[in-house]
Amino acid sequence: MNRLNKLFASKTNNLLSIYFTAGYPALNTTVDIAEALEKSGADFLEIGFPYSDPVADGPTVQHSSEVALENGMSLKVLFEELAELRSRVNIPILLMGYLNPIVQYGIERFCKKAAEVGVDGIIVPDLPIYEYETLYSSHFIDNGLSNIFLVTPQTSEERIRKIDGLSNSFIYLLSSSTITGYNLKLSDSVEEYYKRIVAMKLKNPTIIGFGITDSSSFAKACNYANGAIIGSRFVKLLGEDGYMDKIDGFIKGIRP
Amino acid sequence: MKIKVCGLKHPENIEAVAALQPDYVGFIFYDKTPRYAAGLSADALQGVPASIQKTGVFVNESVENIDKLIAEYGFNAIQLHGDESPEFCAAFKGRVTVIKAFGLNEEFDFEQLKDYANNVDFFLFDTKTKIYGGSGKTFDWAILDQYKLDVPFFLSGGIGSENIAEVKNITHPQFYGVDLNSRFEIEPGLKNIEKLKDAFNIVKNKIQQMKYGVNEQGYYGDFGGAYIPEMLYPNVEELRQQYLTIINDDGFKAEFDDLLKNYVGRPSPLYYAKRYSEKYGANIFFKREDLNHTGSHKINNAIGQILLAKRLGKKRIIAETGAGQHGVATATVCALMGIECVVYMGEIDMARQAPNVSRMKMLGAKVVPATSGSKTLKDATNEALRDWIGNPVDTHYIIGSVVGPYPYPDMVARFQSIISAETKKQLVEYTGSELPQYVLACVGGGSNAMGMFYHFLDDESVKLVAVEAAGKGVNSGESAATTALGNEGVLHGSRTILMQTEDGQVVEPYSISAGLDYPGIGPQHAHLFKSHRGEYVSITDDEALQAGLLCCQLEGIIPAIETAHALAQLEKMKFEANDNVVICISGRGDKDLDTYIKYFNY
Repeated sequence: MNRLNKLFASKTNNLLSIYFTAGYPALNTTVDIAEALEKSGADFLEIGFPYSDPVADGPTVQHSSEVALENGMSLKVLFEELAELRSRVNIPILLMGYLNPIVQYGIERFCKKAAEVGVDGIIVPDLPIYEYETLYSSHFIDNGLSNIFLVTPQTSEERIRKIDGLSNSFIYLLSSSTITGYNLKLSDSVEEYYKRIVAMKLKNPTIIGFGITDSSSFAKACNYANGAIIGSRFVKLLGEDGYMDKIDGFIKGIRP
Repeated sequence: MKIKVCGLKHPENIEAVAALQPDYVGFIFYDKTPRYAAGLSADALQGVPASIQKTGVFVNESVENIDKLIAEYGFNAIQLHGDESPEFCAAFKGRVTVIKAFGLNEEFDFEQLKDYANNVDFFLFDTKTKIYGGSGKTFDWAILDQYKLDVPFFLSGGIGSENIAEVKNITHPQFYGVDLNSRFEIEPGLKNIEKLKDAFNIVKNKIQQMKYGVNEQGYYGDFGGAYIPEMLYPNVEELRQQYLTIINDDGFKAEFDDLLKNYVGRPSPLYYAKRYSEKYGANIFFKREDLNHTGSHKINNAIGQILLAKRLGKKRIIAETGAGQHGVATATVCALMGIECVVYMGEIDMARQAPNVSRMKMLGAKVVPATSGSKTLKDATNEALRDWIGNPVDTHYIIGSVVGPYPYPDMVARFQSIISAETKKQLVEYTGSELPQYVLACVGGGSNAMGMFYHFLDDESVKLVAVEAAGKGVNSGESAATTALGNEGVLHGSRTILMQTEDGQVVEPYSISAGLDYPGIGPQHAHLFKSHRGEYVSITDDEALQAGLLCCQLEGIIPAIETAHALAQLEKMKFEANDNVVICISGRGDKDLDTYIKYFNY
């Protein structure tokens, strides 16, 4: 049972997760930011590794990726930074990024290294189910890593069932078919979609992401899922001066 | 097409069937069949991969007993083969996949299915028999035409090795999969793995008619696939399910052919280039795609995709463009059809290809600058994909080359394959044979090359030469010679060869020709390269411009700089006197006049 499973076994609602891009705004900040987030009460984290062509991301995360790449961030550098992760941070950690850097690093080597530094799960938006099952799943499983799949309002029930069958920690529900970083209103159709998911009684917990920006959207998402993820809004904060001192206030503002 | 294998009961046999990766496996819990699985231990199902739906098959069983068996065996699906009512099905719907079976014959009343439509996930149509369950006989599949509901169905009853290929001709939109059982057995309940394997190959290779073509998973050898985020899955899946049905439809073909003939001006001539032939000591033929309306081969694909988009009910078109040729072609067909058009173009490309930006605007398109990343073609592609993520229902994305997630590479290749289809016919008239010794084309993403190669792929005596842009030299650091400089990875939704750093970041390519300035190649090209079916070479900016000028002066044709790369390759080849050589003149050079003028100081 990895840290993610333990977390979901002990806590089933109002889980707060934060995404940030490694190497932004500077190198050697990854573990500092993770530690500060844990201290402020975040339940688990997604650490993004940057890619030159992030098609699922909006301007904020794209920009952070560009800056991180200019700063020299890569998987190799990230794993070096994460070597001290588990001496300072206890909450579950996921890595999130696009497939091509992983392919170049070597999928088997990537999974081994991730497990070695204490990562619990991986989110790769452009890794499809078929390829995951046929080519990659054994490396994830052998290294005790959870693979997280995304579900959107357009995902069919059959496919959601299949994803539920393949998942072993949580399912990432996208609030809408969108790229990251847009402030979404909770419309009737979104609410209907959440209700549809709830009615499916999936075996895995669900976490809502994309478009969660403040305490009110966080609370609304938590009505329908076990928790929610904030990404772009937090990445924006990291672009501000004195961001380390603002992390605590940010987290407490989301979940008073 | 999905495959369900039903009537399993022996643990080792289950394991062997599971290794074939069917989509469903079925276990029958009905004591009047010799395939009754009651003695089967639940452990025997543990090894069945999660990707395979484990199905319990029941006949007039009680809800309690079915629930008990679902819990015991971990079934994801149930198939109800008796007289179960719609309400009975509803008791399971949402908890497991519900398949309701019906025996069909000529008298079957399809009306009775209406009450089940909301309470089941699938129907299964079997041959009507006096007893419950299968008979091993087929029914007349023509009666399926009477089925009009939108619940997908499995076809069952008497499907065996000898008729499995015919199943592939069933075009019913709700036809979901086949159910294989008694005709693939050594004895009741014991499946013949070899026989099944052959049947799986026939079904799964449904569209693999060519050695170098795509398979049903969207792969060409190691390359292809659909590496897309879930947000794009419904869009791409809709296309995947429909594109072959639509483009093989007679009405579609008639409209496509009519527009190619009367609007584009096809067939494009195959011109015997006399002075080139003298110079290079071989029979050189130009396939004149430059004479198409809008000035390049790009219009073939744009026409095909706009007709497809109309049939999919799309109200809005998006496209990416580098030099602007594909953008202009797309804006043109959108004007033709009266559909809204948005073209993404790198901010830097907009500046260097300003006349094409104006052309697109005149044609009524909105041109949106891509300001992220390197502000060129790959970023325009990213922006178009982002747009599509946000507009999944009403928008069709017309990709301009044989790149992107499956089915795009195959779909675009099919629309461009008119180039080689015509060439074969035209060449017979000149030479008495439809096969030349060489076929040459330039490659950026590779759509004109794939169109030019398509009908020659299986004619292995024909040498296929693909010419990439070396820019200022392959090793100059300013190049777009993808096969020379790239390695395997994932770009814009497919596994292919691309130029990238050691860390997997995409490298910005360089070529004087905006149409070849792309860091990847289509997955089918990657396969032709890796399998050595095609020879992939590169030509520098200087060599290309010189070849472009030579073509003006020897043949009176100003070629696009992209095309000039293919022409330049002639200088490097040695021919026999009787060799027949076809070069795709992919586009005209009007758009490149500024570049030519500056380079040669005219």
